[in-house]
Amino acid sequence: MELLESVNWALIAPLIIIQLILMAVALVDLIKNDKTNGPKWMWAIIILVVNIVGPILYFVIGRRNH
Amino acid sequence: MNQWFILLKKEFLEMSRNYKWVWVPITFILLGILDPLTSYYLPQIIDSVGDLPEGTVIQIPEPSAAEVFIMSLSEYQLIGILIIVLSTMAIVSGERKSGVVQLILVKPVSYFSYITSKWAGALILISSSLFLGMLASWYYTGVLYEFLPFSDFLAAYWAYALWLILVLTLVVLCSAALKHPGATAMVTLITVFVLNLVGGSLTHALEWSPTQLPLYVSERLTTNQWPEHIWPAAGLAALFTFAFLVMAILLFKRKELAD
Repeated sequence: MELLESVNWALIAPLIIIQLILMAVALVDLIKNDKTNGPKWMWAIIILVVNIVGPILYFVIGRRNH
Repeated sequence: MNQWFILLKKEFLEMSRNYKWVWVPITFILLGILDPLTSYYLPQIIDSVGDLPEGTVIQIPEPSAAEVFIMSLSEYQLIGILIIVLSTMAIVSGERKSGVVQLILVKPVSYFSYITSKWAGALILISSSLFLGMLASWYYTGVLYEFLPFSDFLAAYWAYALWLILVLTLVVLCSAALKHPGATAMVTLITVFVLNLVGGSLTHALEWSPTQLPLYVSERLTTNQWPEHIWPAAGLAALFTFAFLVMAILLFKRKELAD
């Protein structure tokens, strides 16, 4: 608990918020898209579990442009 | 000119549909603020994860603000370049594959406007993302350590932007020349990393090489003075960018005429 108090949340909060934005945008796009490269459920797990890198991987590899 | 702006608008529309305007700036900002945060909270991080025996004392020298800023800039040198390559590798070849190129070029659109509008769109995306990311990094370093003068930030920004724009232009050139986005990514990444390796080991022979720009930025931040070779290196970077762009247009033209 001591650790949590020593952290400056005004600086950590933006980090968490933009990570969440990235994740949310990737998930919304995944749901809206009909087709992805690879199964959809797999991408959902990757986006949710792999921090930062997961959504980026989805945008770079997983998205199929039509 | 009017037509060129319409093409540029199309680029912007496409980049927002691909969410590039969301994930590229966000990634650059994350890259910028992660290093100041982790180096500042390193003692706490070690405390919470390490099973160190009671009484262990680890002395971590506190880095200076300039050192932290340089450290976070080095992220752009590695992961930043990777993001640039991955986000723009299909810039020309992707449209060629999907047939959009043919749709555009049946209209009286010159090869010049087609390539330069694409290049300008990517350039605006990357340079504004880099600006936001470096600004965030500068701010976090300032709050956690000590504020560097804003002129230091601007100096670091333009030199880094010049170097990354050169990389971006190389991606555009490869994308115009090669069919597969994967091949484009491979060729550019290998070229850039080999050049960096050569530049890093032959610092004295290649003082004018644009690959030295990030190194010169570090020097500028630690000594508060530009090294003398910054201007030729910057000039060459601009010259190479221009040459790559011209080559991209010529190659693209020849390829399209051959088809």
